[in-house]
Amino acid sequence: MNNKPKNITLSELPKHNVYQVPEDYFDRLPTRIMERTAASPKQDWLPAQLWQNLRVAMAPIILLAMFVGVFYFTLNSQPDKQAMNMAVVTDTEIVDYLTANATLESADFADLNTIQHQELTADVLNVSSLAAEEELEYYHLRDTDY
Amino acid sequence: MEDKEILEKFANPDSRNLAFNQLVRKYQQKIYWHIRKMVIDHEDSDDLTQEVFLKVWKNLENFRQDAQLYTWLYRIATNECLTFLSSKKRKFFLPINDVAAELAEKIDSSVNISGDEIQLKLQKALLKLPDKQRLVFNMKYYDELKYEEISEILGTSVGALKASYHLAVKKIEEFLKQD
Repeated sequence: MNNKPKNITLSELPKHNVYQVPEDYFDRLPTRIMERTAASPKQDWLPAQLWQNLRVAMAPIILLAMFVGVFYFTLNSQPDKQAMNMAVVTDTEIVDYLTANATLESADFADLNTIQHQELTADVLNVSSLAAEEELEYYHLRDTDY
Repeated sequence: MEDKEILEKFANPDSRNLAFNQLVRKYQQKIYWHIRKMVIDHEDSDDLTQEVFLKVWKNLENFRQDAQLYTWLYRIATNECLTFLSSKKRKFFLPINDVAAELAEKIDSSVNISGDEIQLKLQKALLKLPDKQRLVFNMKYYDELKYEEISEILGTSVGALKASYHLAVKKIEEFLKQD
């Protein structure tokens, strides 16, 4: 007799579970799992509720921190170096440099009121009294009321 | 115990173990059988079931309660199954058909599998399906989950799941017709 199945549809078949487990398997499984959880404690390095609130914001916070860090690094590193270099230069050295190398105009002396307590010598101005008189005459400065 | 109550008790360190024990007892069979139908072998299923619950233990605090607990559990179990099967293929450099043949051999030889001829043939027919299609079939046919629930577990659209299931049924019925 040929009892091989022909033209069988799934709806005709009973849903039978062919798989089996050892006896008392499901009675013992929770105990085995609980033993493993005891050997593998949870790692509460950050309170879970805090982490839940933070984790969505973590990516933008990290990105923002990186931008701020890079910004301050590039902004401060070079000027700091320059400011430090200038800090060790004395006022005398600055004046000497300007006397020897810079072409000064009258407008440059506008800032000199910040060092008004220092005596400005003819050597600093590097101009003779005659030349100064001529300049005053030429620009009609003698009668100007400041 | 309701899922909500389990989660509340789990959040309290004093009742955490008790709550987790309840969770395991409530869902162990669903998870085990879901895994067993995918990997066939009892020892493998036992290992994977324990791994799933260990992952649940470690991550339950991060579980977002806008999803159903059992769909979250199914998703972890499903990922474990797929990882296991793909690692099996990689480990032994096996093509998909050879893994299916190996699993089919277990159906014939395992002492923990019994059934009449047509039922065993149905199980072998299922092994002809790609892993993800087999998952869809098992969850719909055996576990009787709704397409929406399967969609949440697998992250696949309902339309794609319906098409996959009906295609699986056709393939299986074709296989059952063969001698």
